[in-house]
This record gives sequence, C-alpha cells and structure tokens, in this order.
Amino acid sequence: MNFFIQIIVSGLTFGAMYALAAVGLALVWGAFNMLNMAHGIIMTLGAYFVLVWAELFGLPLWFAGPFAFLAGGIVGAIIYFISAHWMLTQKNFEVTIIIATFGLGMALEAGLMKLLRELFQAAPYAQPLSLGADSFLVGDVPVSYQRLIIWAVAVALIVLVALFLTRTTMGRAIRATAQNRDAARLMGVKVKRVYVIVLALASGLAGVAGIMLSSFKDVVPLMGQTPMLKAFIVIVLAGLGNMTGALYAALLIGMVEAAVKVLVADKWGFLAMLVVVVIAIIWRPAGLFGKHQIARQ
Amino acid sequence: MAEPLLSVQNLYAGYEGQSVLKDVSFDVPEGGLISMLGPNGHGKTTLLRCIAGLLRPSGGHIHFAGRRIEGAEAETVVGLGVVLIPQGDMLFPDMSVYDNLKMGAYLPRVRKTFDQDVENIYEILPRLKERTTQLARTLSGGERRMLAIGRGLLAGGRILMIDEPSLGLAPIVIDQIYEIITDLKASGRTILLVEENASRIIDLADRIHLLDTGHIVWAGDGKELQNNQQVLETYLGG
Repeated sequence: MNFFIQIIVSGLTFGAMYALAAVGLALVWGAFNMLNMAHGIIMTLGAYFVLVWAELFGLPLWFAGPFAFLAGGIVGAIIYFISAHWMLTQKNFEVTIIIATFGLGMALEAGLMKLLRELFQAAPYAQPLSLGADSFLVGDVPVSYQRLIIWAVAVALIVLVALFLTRTTMGRAIRATAQNRDAARLMGVKVKRVYVIVLALASGLAGVAGIMLSSFKDVVPLMGQTPMLKAFIVIVLAGLGNMTGALYAALLIGMVEAAVKVLVADKWGFLAMLVVVVIAIIWRPAGLFGKHQIARQ
Repeated sequence: MAEPLLSVQNLYAGYEGQSVLKDVSFDVPEGGLISMLGPNGHGKTTLLRCIAGLLRPSGGHIHFAGRRIEGAEAETVVGLGVVLIPQGDMLFPDMSVYDNLKMGAYLPRVRKTFDQDVENIYEILPRLKERTTQLARTLSGGERRMLAIGRGLLAGGRILMIDEPSLGLAPIVIDQIYEIITDLKASGRTILLVEENASRIIDLADRIHLLDTGHIVWAGDGKELQNNQQVLETYLGG
C-alpha cells in the first residue's frame, strides 16, 4: 500500500512538471510546426532569474512564479524574433528551426555559464524558494508541501491556459491557426503575431516549470536538458500538437517513471520510460492520441 | 463610368515555376455578380487565391477600392474587405460550429456586432443553428458548405468571392446554396463566383468569363453564352 501511495505521489509530481513543459511544446508545434530546442534552457533561465533576483534584491516569494513566467515569455519572444521569424517561409522550416533553436540554446547555455563564472562563485545553487523538507503523512508516506504547491501551480496554470485558448479571442485565433493556417489568415488573423504569443506563452510556462525543477534539485546551467528531453518524449508519445493528449501522456510517463524508481531502482526510471515510448510508437506511429501522421503530405 | 470595385489586370501566377494564370484581366463592379466559369484545374481557384492574398502573383496588378493589393498578405486583404469562401470550405475542424462562426467575425470591424449578426446568419442558414455545439468535422458536406458561407458572410466585407459552391454536393443542396447566393445578389452584395457548371450561373451572373488553361478565352453575359453554341461545345462540352 505504501509503495502504491509513494508511486502516486511521486508520479503526480513528475507528471505535473512534465505536463507544464510539454503543453508549451505541443502548443508551439500545433501553431506553426516549430520544435523549440531552446525550451530546456528557458526552464534553466526561469530558475536562474528567480535565484538571482532573490539573492540580489530579495524577491518576495509570491512574485517568483509571475516573474519566471514573464522572464521566460520575454526570452521566448526574443528567440522568435532572432530565429523563426526569418525562417517561416523556408521549405524545410520544421527541420531548420530545430537546428537553429538547438544552436541558440547552446549559445545561451554557454553564455549563462560564462556569466555565472564571472558574477558568482561556482554553481550549483540551492533554489531559495524551496520550502525545504516540511511534510505531512499520507498513510505512512511523507508528502512535502513543496509537492503540493507544484501540483497546485501546475493545475492552475494548465486550467488558465485552457481557459485562454477556449474563451478568449486570441485563444480562439491560436486554435484556428493550428487547425488551418490559411483559413485563419482568411479570417484576418495576423498569424505571425499568433506565433510570437504562442512561443512567449510556452516559454513562460517553461520558466515556471524551471522553478519547480530547481526546488527539487540544485540550480545548474544544464538542469533543463533532461526535462526538455522528457517533455519532447511526452509530446511524441501523445501525438505531436495534441495538447490534451500531452497532459495524459505527461501523467502516464510520470507514473511509469515513478513506479520503476520505487519498485526497481532509481537508475532504471528513464530507461523504462523510453521502453514504454518505443513500444507505444511502434504500436501507434502517430502517437497515443494522434489523429494524423507526423510527416506533412 | 464609375471605377470598378475590383480590377484585375494582366495577372500571371503559378506554383514552383509552373505557370497557371496567363494574362488574366477583368473587372468586378460594385453590386455586380461576376462569374469565372471553366473546367477544374484551369486556374479558377488559383485566381481567387491570388486576389485573397494566399498566393503571390508573378506579374500584373490587382486593384481593390482604389488600392493595389497584389502581393499583400491575406490577413491584410480581408481587412480591406475582400472575403473568400474557399474551395473545400477550409473550416476549423476541431472547433464547434459556433466557434467557426465566431472566427468569421474575427476582424474588429465585425466583432462587436457578432451577437446580432449571427442571428441573421441563423435565419439564412437555419441548419447551423441546430448544430451550434457540434464540431465542424462531424458535419455533412452540405452543412460544411453552409458553415463556410455563414462564416464568410460574418466577415462583412465589400466583395464576396465564392469558390465552387456546388462542388461535391447533392443537387438539392446545390439548389439551397444557389438560393442563398441569389438572395445575396438581390440584397446588393458584390460577388465574384467561381463555378464549373454553366447552367447554374447563366441566369444569375451579370457577366461570365470563361477561363481555359489560365486564359480568359471568352466573356459575355448569360444570354450570349447560351446562344454561343461554339463556345459551349468547345469549352464546356455542350
């Protein structure tokens, strides 16, 4: 029974973080077939911005989330204007943008490390916003308040994104663009504006996901890499561009990883997750919830 | 004579080096119903895509309400008042009928009056009212076409371009669609209508252009077309 609770608690936490990272990726792919390889570094930056501001200016705790969201969003918009904006009309945009954002991500990472070396002492840092190990018991399993906050924030943000997409004029325009780009343009949707907003929104979510990650581990320049990889795995498993599918897939992946970590050993978690994905993709090449083939006609 | 609302001059266009339109010129006067007639694959849809801004022409000019619009982006052109009801409907498949209609009224000029406007649309197209919450991809072919028309009408605009309204529909549904188009004409809307089927437009259009392999090979009104056996047989198979 305790195993079971442990798996649920830890799976939900992983799932919530993956969902937050993956929803953004799915949103961006859906809107304009862009896979943003700089997504990981944006998570890292979110964590660092909060860290730096907290250390230097004494950032109030409640403002950390909005601040990371805003900072991530601005970085996302900048990434759009120095890469995607100029590449949209290229024939192989889907491929070239991967390479471009991969390069941008590496440059940002290198810049970040250099800056840190000059400004501060050696990494890693502890995230000042971490609530520490305070916890309560469910059955015999301790559940930290940190986890509770992560669930609450992730659920709240995803609900907000869903409301934005379904209830607002801009949200509707984003969905329309994802479903039929030319038709959206015929309605008067300025699709390039949609692209910026979508990338900024996704990057804002990544920034918040970054704080969550860093509250478990330390803040280091490469901390976003593995979570980004997992977020990519989530959206491929779900079917590219399928947002609701990405939520289910994130929870599924989180649960599988947690189950293996609890029942077998920590180091097998990632491997087990990959095995699940490979089998799923062989079984359903378009993803578990995908309706379309990934390649364009 | 007043300047035409839409004027296309010596238009050339194509895809990847393959030319589709060659030296196409015609006018659409305010309040008129002008038709492009011709078999499939002869550039009718390409022509509308050029005017709507989805395809950049390789030569020639398009004037709308005194402004040059060739090469402008589609989102700009519709803002000026050129509305395209595209071939194959191009709906938003995973959005409800209501949300599709709401996208039709995306432009600021019509967004505020959407609640009243949509009631008018439901009056013209009562079928849509029964389907408001249904996803667009679950609609029948006729319903899809009606949704595309309703969505286009909600965009307001000064000229309505309709691409093959009868394509792939049962005759009884085509009758309904053409009733709507006839009413639109009677209400004074300016319409550019692309059609493959001559009999549908002979009595309706003020002027008919025959588009064949990218050229306009003949132009005149319905009566002249009816009396011109040679044109009918050569281009439209009798």
